[in-house]
Amino acid sequence: MASSQSKLELKLGVFVFIGIVILSIFILSIERYKKWNFNYRVHFTFNFVNGVKLGAPVRLAGVDVGDVKEINLKFSPEENKNKVDLVCRVRWDAKIPDDSSIWINTLGLLGEKYVEIMPGKNYAKVMCENQALAGQDPIPIHEVMVLAKSIVSNLDESIIRLKNEEGTVGKLLFNDKVYNELDALISDIRRNPWKLLWKTKEKKS
Amino acid sequence: MFKNFFESLGRKVLEGFEFVGGLANLVAQAFYWMFVPPFKKGRIFEQAKKAGIDSLLIVSALALFIGIIMALQTAYQMQRLGSEMYIASIVALSIVRELGPVITALVVAGRVGAAIAAEIGSMQVTEQIDALQVFAANPVKYLVVPRLLVLSLMLPLLTLYADILGILGGYLICVYKLGISGTMYMQITFDSLLYKDLFTGLLKTVFFGMLIAIVSCYEGFNVKGGAEGVGRATTRAVVGSFILIITADCFFTALFYFVFP
Repeated sequence: MASSQSKLELKLGVFVFIGIVILSIFILSIERYKKWNFNYRVHFTFNFVNGVKLGAPVRLAGVDVGDVKEINLKFSPEENKNKVDLVCRVRWDAKIPDDSSIWINTLGLLGEKYVEIMPGKNYAKVMCENQALAGQDPIPIHEVMVLAKSIVSNLDESIIRLKNEEGTVGKLLFNDKVYNELDALISDIRRNPWKLLWKTKEKKS
Repeated sequence: MFKNFFESLGRKVLEGFEFVGGLANLVAQAFYWMFVPPFKKGRIFEQAKKAGIDSLLIVSALALFIGIIMALQTAYQMQRLGSEMYIASIVALSIVRELGPVITALVVAGRVGAAIAAEIGSMQVTEQIDALQVFAANPVKYLVVPRLLVLSLMLPLLTLYADILGILGGYLICVYKLGISGTMYMQITFDSLLYKDLFTGLLKTVFFGMLIAIVSCYEGFNVKGGAEGVGRATTRAVVGSFILIITADCFFTALFYFVFP
């Protein structure tokens, strides 16, 4: 009876022990890739963030160093417009110089947005806890479209004028008069090179 | 005819309230008796073997297959997008957050819950529970408390096994079929997991375990009639546990989504 009881306890012990081992594997492995126990918060302000999500990665010189913890839309009375305040949690050993440029970039094919930081040169002044830095606004795709449209419509106008043989370029392209005259001139000069040095009588008089 | 309809509807509603009330009563009694001595560890170990070790094989096998299925099904779509890298994180997150806990709870409800209901039910019809009371042994203390404790402790353990084997299933497919390197798979898996994912998954199973124990014991105690009643109670225990597990899971998922994002 006693031996069967201890055998049962042994089995259970092994079962529980392996369970605890699995739990510690999970805990240690998750920990290994998230050594961001010591981190600080910085604020990046934008006018437009192009749909950054909470938890979006923050990359310093292309390396993941943190993530976006809060996205606050605030009305700023001084500038009289809405500002977006991204609160980011950044690894403590990631030094961000004050003259870094910060913008919103797009990741991979799923089009996920992240915060890109290109470090500046002045490491004498680095960002500290709760400091704010202004980011460069991403260009909204809408504005790119408007710009492209105006470029294309201008080009279109020029091309139509070219086709209609309007303007000097149009004449150059479609009228062979200039070509013929140039051709005649060159062949004339080739035959009589002295003509280049010739001073016409009209000019003299 | 309408009278009959409303009568049966009303009876169902009343039965529902009675069921919930009975469960609440049993929970309260079980928690009271849990802290009243004497504490007998022998019965707890016996139940732990039945609920834990004996369910391990089936839970592990199912979790492995679920991992393989998840990896293959995601691969079907992800290969078109050329982003097989994301399979690891999808498998890891869905197994650890959702499928591991629920599959384990459903297996245990089917295996152990049915056994509990049948055992206590047949004790009830053979009047052994009345005999316990005659010996001044409280049936809740003697029968419900060990099962409640054991199930709420064994389910998280089994879920850990299920999680690791589910991830292993995904690993097998991704490494040996899709040609992703093993270290990269593990890196992406643990990169996408947070402590929050693991612990919400485990916390849920504690409550699932309590649900299974309480529902099964309640149905066992409320057996009416003979062998047929035991059969009906077993069915009701399993079906009731399944419904309550999924409902509780819905509740917890919403809670973790909205309250602790």
